[in-house]
Amino acid sequence: MLNIPKANLSTRNSGSSPEPTHLKAEVQQLNFYYSNGFHALKNINLALAEHQATALIGPSGCGKSTFLRCFNRMHDLYPNNRYQGKIIMHPDNTDILGPKVDPIEVRMRISMVFQKPNPFPKSIYENVAYGLRVRGVVKGRGNVDDKIEEALRGAALWDEVKDRLHDLAFNLSGGQQQRLCIARALATDPEILLFDEPTSALDPIATASIEELIHELKEKVTILIVTHNMQQAARVSDYTAFMHLGELVEFGDTDQIFTNPRQKRTEDYITGRYG
Amino acid sequence: MDPMYTHISQQYNAELEDIRSKVLQMGGLVEQQIDQALQALVKGDIALGEAVIMDDTKVNSMEVAIDEECSQIIARRQPAASDLRLVVAVIKTITDLERIGDEAEKIARMAVRLAGDERPKNNYAEIHSLGMHVRTMVHNALDAFARVDIEAAFNVAREDRKVDEQYEAVIRQLITVMMEDPRTISRVLNVIWAARALERIGDHASNLCEYIVYLVKGKDVRHTSLEQVEKEILGRPSGS
Amino acid sequence: MDDTKVSEIRQMIIRHKRWDRLFALLGLCAMILGVLTLTVLFADLLIDGAHRIGVDFFTSFPSRKPESAGILSAFVGTCLVMLVTVVTAVPLGVAAAVYLEEYAPRNWMTDLIEINVSNLAGVPSIIYGLLALGLFVYALDFGQSILSAGLTLALLILPMVIVATRESIRAVPGSIREAAYAVGATKWQTVSSHVLPYSTGGILTGVIIGLARAIGETAPIITIGALTFIAFLPPAPIMAEAPFISFEWLFAPFTVMPIQMFNWLSRPEEAFQSNAAAAGVILIAMTLAMNALAIWLRYRYRKRIKW
Repeated sequence: MLNIPKANLSTRNSGSSPEPTHLKAEVQQLNFYYSNGFHALKNINLALAEHQATALIGPSGCGKSTFLRCFNRMHDLYPNNRYQGKIIMHPDNTDILGPKVDPIEVRMRISMVFQKPNPFPKSIYENVAYGLRVRGVVKGRGNVDDKIEEALRGAALWDEVKDRLHDLAFNLSGGQQQRLCIARALATDPEILLFDEPTSALDPIATASIEELIHELKEKVTILIVTHNMQQAARVSDYTAFMHLGELVEFGDTDQIFTNPRQKRTEDYITGRYG
Repeated sequence: MDPMYTHISQQYNAELEDIRSKVLQMGGLVEQQIDQALQALVKGDIALGEAVIMDDTKVNSMEVAIDEECSQIIARRQPAASDLRLVVAVIKTITDLERIGDEAEKIARMAVRLAGDERPKNNYAEIHSLGMHVRTMVHNALDAFARVDIEAAFNVAREDRKVDEQYEAVIRQLITVMMEDPRTISRVLNVIWAARALERIGDHASNLCEYIVYLVKGKDVRHTSLEQVEKEILGRPSGS
Repeated sequence: MDDTKVSEIRQMIIRHKRWDRLFALLGLCAMILGVLTLTVLFADLLIDGAHRIGVDFFTSFPSRKPESAGILSAFVGTCLVMLVTVVTAVPLGVAAAVYLEEYAPRNWMTDLIEINVSNLAGVPSIIYGLLALGLFVYALDFGQSILSAGLTLALLILPMVIVATRESIRAVPGSIREAAYAVGATKWQTVSSHVLPYSTGGILTGVIIGLARAIGETAPIITIGALTFIAFLPPAPIMAEAPFISFEWLFAPFTVMPIQMFNWLSRPEEAFQSNAAAAGVILIAMTLAMNALAIWLRYRYRKRIKW
């Protein structure tokens, strides 16, 4: 085979091969059980390339959102969910699922943008500032203002809201609200940004602007995105992982997955055939 | 990989099936054109030759129609993976089929021109043999496309080398004829044109096989040597 | 063919709409019955007591002469008791609700407590009175005071505050909580800067509706031994000399509006009945005002929040 993905799924070598892109995180033998005993993720191995976008696709209930939410330990909010395996984050080799690692520490390093825009019922300014407030940054307001402008610019929202930073966030349109949520996630300089179907509640124009933004964001952060929309995965991602029934069926270059998948299940899903 | 799996959208299925069958239909027409052009050449049948020239517009309009259908599928269905490869392969295939049609037309023109001239003793047996060889190649290539049969495609591609050798032999023979009797030069030049057209048809037929490889394996094997491709693709246990 | 089909559909719609109209009529009757009864009662009270309502009525102590009797001590007593009730019930109730909703582990203990809290809201108020008599009046020796009464009523409305708070906390969507957690907030940061602020409207509504119930409670107050005839005010909470603030009023004897009414109603003289009616009107007005406040608050808070 000619085009072996740059970040091969089985890369467990520690720097022996000269890889063009560095790895930001490695998922090793990840299993996840919900509190009701449901085995939602089965032996997942996958690597996230730094400053690249990796898309997770698959039919509803395949575990892609569950997988995404492992990355910022969202499952810890609900009792009796159980992880097995590791997610190693580089360069410090922290296992973010490790029992000694505080989920809050993980969430400070890995931000998330949700399916439905969920701004706080506060002002635009306060929404973006919240991550900083949580970190105790209140003194020196000037500095906070700069950070907020930077985050809003990063989310391509600054020009639209700079004159009404103290308006309620709910007065923005759906697409603007979602970009506000991205700004909120960006304000704290995360290393990885998780997107959980970020455009499923948006119209095509707003969707296009979010997708464009994802392209730009790759300069700063590593992106992991769950999407129902296969074309979206094809448009925004560098690597694509196809999941089915809690398993990672195939992982590879987006180009390869969408033109020449190796697994029949991937092929059937991508082309819209019965599985 | 078998493109006969049904899509969730039956309509989509029908559309893809439709372009596949239209390609085969166009292929059938092109085969018939080659056949009749050869007949016209060998038998000196002016009427048949002119019919072939007339029918080339049919081939051309089929190309346009299938092209249009493919763009429609791309625009409306955004095909992916094997479906995308099918559409891309079809677009390329019909271009080559159309060229084959043009070459057949050229042969027919030569047939019409040669019909009035004196006919050689062997009645263009070597051209006929080359022509039948090439026609079989086209037929087998279309067959391989219909059955999505990569082995058959490789067999056809391998034939192209034999066609090239046969073509060289024919040319050598014709040069000898011209050297023996310079009065035949203008006639033999026309025959060379026809032989050249047949050789080109062989090239196009092997192009068709490359598209089949692309369709099945998703690998672009153009501009690569046959041995290398075969080693890569068939060298490992197939059926992945 | 088509025509008959269309007319069939029309027939069917007409048949179904008959039920619509029938129910609308029944509902209207039910509503009129309820509202009308209340209106008539209120009007009756108003007719009986209107001539007694005036400035004097508010500024006079109870008296043996009906025409000079007023509700000053009862009104002040009610206000002070309510103050104690609010100050105790709100922090306790909100804290308990936040704990149950956000912190408590999901196990059988928590389930048991939850079920009991809901049940407590249904316990007859006189039982609270008995409990308070034993606990506050005797065991803790607060006496038959404003403090005892306030605490008793606080206990009475505590389950209501807890239930209302839990419900409005639960109305804050999970996505908002997740948004806060996702930027690295702790549980307390999430609760204090999001969950509580966004549920304030609901909490206040619950508290006020609880108070509206407490303001009319008679049985537990009588049980702990409120006086029925008080011709003085409790000591003022603010003093002219240091330390300026006094809590003596907490331990003062008191009466409240419903008891004052009860007292007047048990008098044989016709004129006292008018006084009772007037006090009733004021009590109803207070309750309505509180409910109106609750509605207004809910509206004001909801206006900013659209989930």
